[in-house]
Amino acid sequence: MTSIFRRGSALHSLAAPYALDALELREHKRFEKHLKHCDSCAAEVRALREDAVRLAWSTAAPAPAALRDRVLLAVRTTPQEPAAAQPAPAPSSQAARARAERPPSRARRSAFSPFLIPLASTTAAAALVVAALFGMQASRTQDQLNEERAQARDIAHVLAAPDARAGTGRDANGQGIGVVASASRHTAVVTSAGLGTPSNERVHQLWLMRPEEKPRSLGLLDGDTPLLATGLETDATSLAVTVEPSGGSPQPTTAPVVQLALESLGFGE
Amino acid sequence: MEADELLVLVAGGDQKAFEDLYGLVSGPVFGLVRRVVRDPAQSEEVAQEVLLELWRTAGRYDPGRGTALSWVLTLAHRRAVDRVRSARAAGERELRMARRANGPAFDHVAEEVEAGLEREWVRRCLDRLTALQRQSVTLAYYDGYTYREVAERLSLPLGTVKTRMRDGLTRLRDCLGGVA
Repeated sequence: MTSIFRRGSALHSLAAPYALDALELREHKRFEKHLKHCDSCAAEVRALREDAVRLAWSTAAPAPAALRDRVLLAVRTTPQEPAAAQPAPAPSSQAARARAERPPSRARRSAFSPFLIPLASTTAAAALVVAALFGMQASRTQDQLNEERAQARDIAHVLAAPDARAGTGRDANGQGIGVVASASRHTAVVTSAGLGTPSNERVHQLWLMRPEEKPRSLGLLDGDTPLLATGLETDATSLAVTVEPSGGSPQPTTAPVVQLALESLGFGE
Repeated sequence: MEADELLVLVAGGDQKAFEDLYGLVSGPVFGLVRRVVRDPAQSEEVAQEVLLELWRTAGRYDPGRGTALSWVLTLAHRRAVDRVRSARAAGERELRMARRANGPAFDHVAEEVEAGLEREWVRRCLDRLTALQRQSVTLAYYDGYTYREVAERLSLPLGTVKTRMRDGLTRLRDCLGGVA
């Protein structure tokens, strides 16, 4: 390994700056291209990377609680990429068992290394939205697309609100809804968390409950697609989901399967 | 369960495993991102991107290539550096002001955090580097400067900075060797 570096191609000397993420984008790309054809450089870079990561040891700090809520909620609706490569022998039997239990993936041997992950061009919030609204549906008319894009923007807006808070409502089986709401923007994004679809062509309908008011329909929950609920009054007390006949009802006809109090999300104050 | 095993489960779509993984890595990820990005709101945003990216791309983790924590922190560092560079490109001046505004609060919080042995060891080992090695490594890793920018700041030739970075990292390895 060392002899190659002693010969001193200019590219090789970039291994340390590369390991520290200290290359400009252009050089970074050039070096990664080079890495694909140079096994000994890859080993050297891996070792230097491990060294660099040790510098991170001294920086750990507790993450804000709200971050956890947002990430775990987003994970529910964010699809995963198929595995890029067959992993090497497992470090433990437990991991091996877990891997064996995985459904056969569309694994392919690829040139991807852990260092070659494309730059993130979207925020986590946008990723959630893009995944839920565009990722799973193939063909769309332009009008539908425009409408969905507008909704995606609105959803991103809620997630980015300074007072955005997350909560979940669950039934006895642990299934229910995930909600991110902003009282100041009178808006909430509601996603199904394992509610599934009721049988007999019935639907899940979402309701807003307020003191001394009849429940108001906020729309139908359609699979994993996030529902954007707007115009939420700040005195609202809870969200409720009922099972209704196809197309929904003007007023709930059954008892709620899930109810979520909005107080912890900044409403009712 | 260790992060390595959890990542494998996460790659198979296991949300519970992701919650456990979150518990293990969110502190290191958030701390590292905040060290590089400084601005609290932006740090939270970048950390969120990174943690969600872990979920999406867990299948790319290859245990043969290194530990899970190292994979995670490499990703986090990369994203943090991307953010701080685009922020710098957008306005050197605003950034300096933001740093001044957030600096004391950050140090204060950092002091409160449970330190742990590693923190102490890293500091001790950094102290053993020559000043130029230490500055080359920390300006790049903790402050997100490219080696060209580091060379400029330290008034050193490019070649010297590259060598100092390599020597600095190797010396850290020797010093921290038995601690991992």
